Amino acid sequence: MPAAIPATRRPELSKPPLPADAELIPKLLAGDETAYAQVVRAYHGLMIHLARAIVGEAFADEVAQEAWVAVLRALPRFERRSSLKTWILRIVSNTAKSRLRHESRSVSLDDTMSEQPIVDPARFKSNAHWASPPAMWHADTPDALLASSQLRSCIDAALRALPPMQRAVVSLRDMQGMDMETICKVLEVSESNGRVLLHRARSRIQQAIEEHETR
Amino acid sequence: MSFMPNCQDVTKHSSDYLDRSLSRWKRLGMWFHMMMCVDCRRYVSQLQLTIATLKKHPKANPPPVSNEQVDNVVKHVCQNLKPDD
Repeated sequence: MPAAIPATRRPELSKPPLPADAELIPKLLAGDETAYAQVVRAYHGLMIHLARAIVGEAFADEVAQEAWVAVLRALPRFERRSSLKTWILRIVSNTAKSRLRHESRSVSLDDTMSEQPIVDPARFKSNAHWASPPAMWHADTPDALLASSQLRSCIDAALRALPPMQRAVVSLRDMQGMDMETICKVLEVSESNGRVLLHRARSRIQQAIEEHETR
Repeated sequence: MSFMPNCQDVTKHSSDYLDRSLSRWKRLGMWFHMMMCVDCRRYVSQLQLTIATLKKHPKANPPPVSNEQVDNVVKHVCQNLKPDD
């Protein structure tokens, strides 16, 4: 690992495509400064997004920076059983989870086992068919929904209110478009738990929109 | 879940239905139920709209990483990595 990586000026707009892991990793291990800058530029935004989802806005930048230190320390031991990106994101996830436990000891990260039903059981008859079915929404496209600043605030509040792991899964899947297999590796949850977390998160956001749209 | 799900089942499995991660048999059962149930059709299409809205949410596209951020990360790493790390 290099003793120091000088912070040189780089042109703001130049963003060459990231080389393949097989080409990139030896360069990083050799202390290639350009390779470091490329990796940071490629993944730092996503790292902050993930850290923010788990630990919240206030600590996200710090967690992402801590994770970079951990990444560079662990790089010589990286066994390449996953892509570099997945491995880096798993380090971010673990750093964020540790930080969350440290900051708020009462927070449980394992919210997959919650027995709370997705939809209020009172909305169903005894035969499990709708008693209080969903009403029509005023808006019927994403653009129309997002055009309302009030509704955007409702969605943001619902996202903030999600348990950390639900927020992380829905952020990576629906906002970043990552596949479930990678997400489950990054967050170290089983595929079935990942799916439960995703569905619970989506349903809570849907509920928030429903409350706003049917007022 | 039996072949033909009830409405409560539909709400439980709607994400998996939309993500095509249900078995073909369960998927077919959900499809048949929704052919007959306007309420569940609406529920699932609203979930689909919710997902599409999250995809388009402004926070889904964070601004590109600036040179300043790259420099801050590099500086932080330099300060925290010892030469023998």
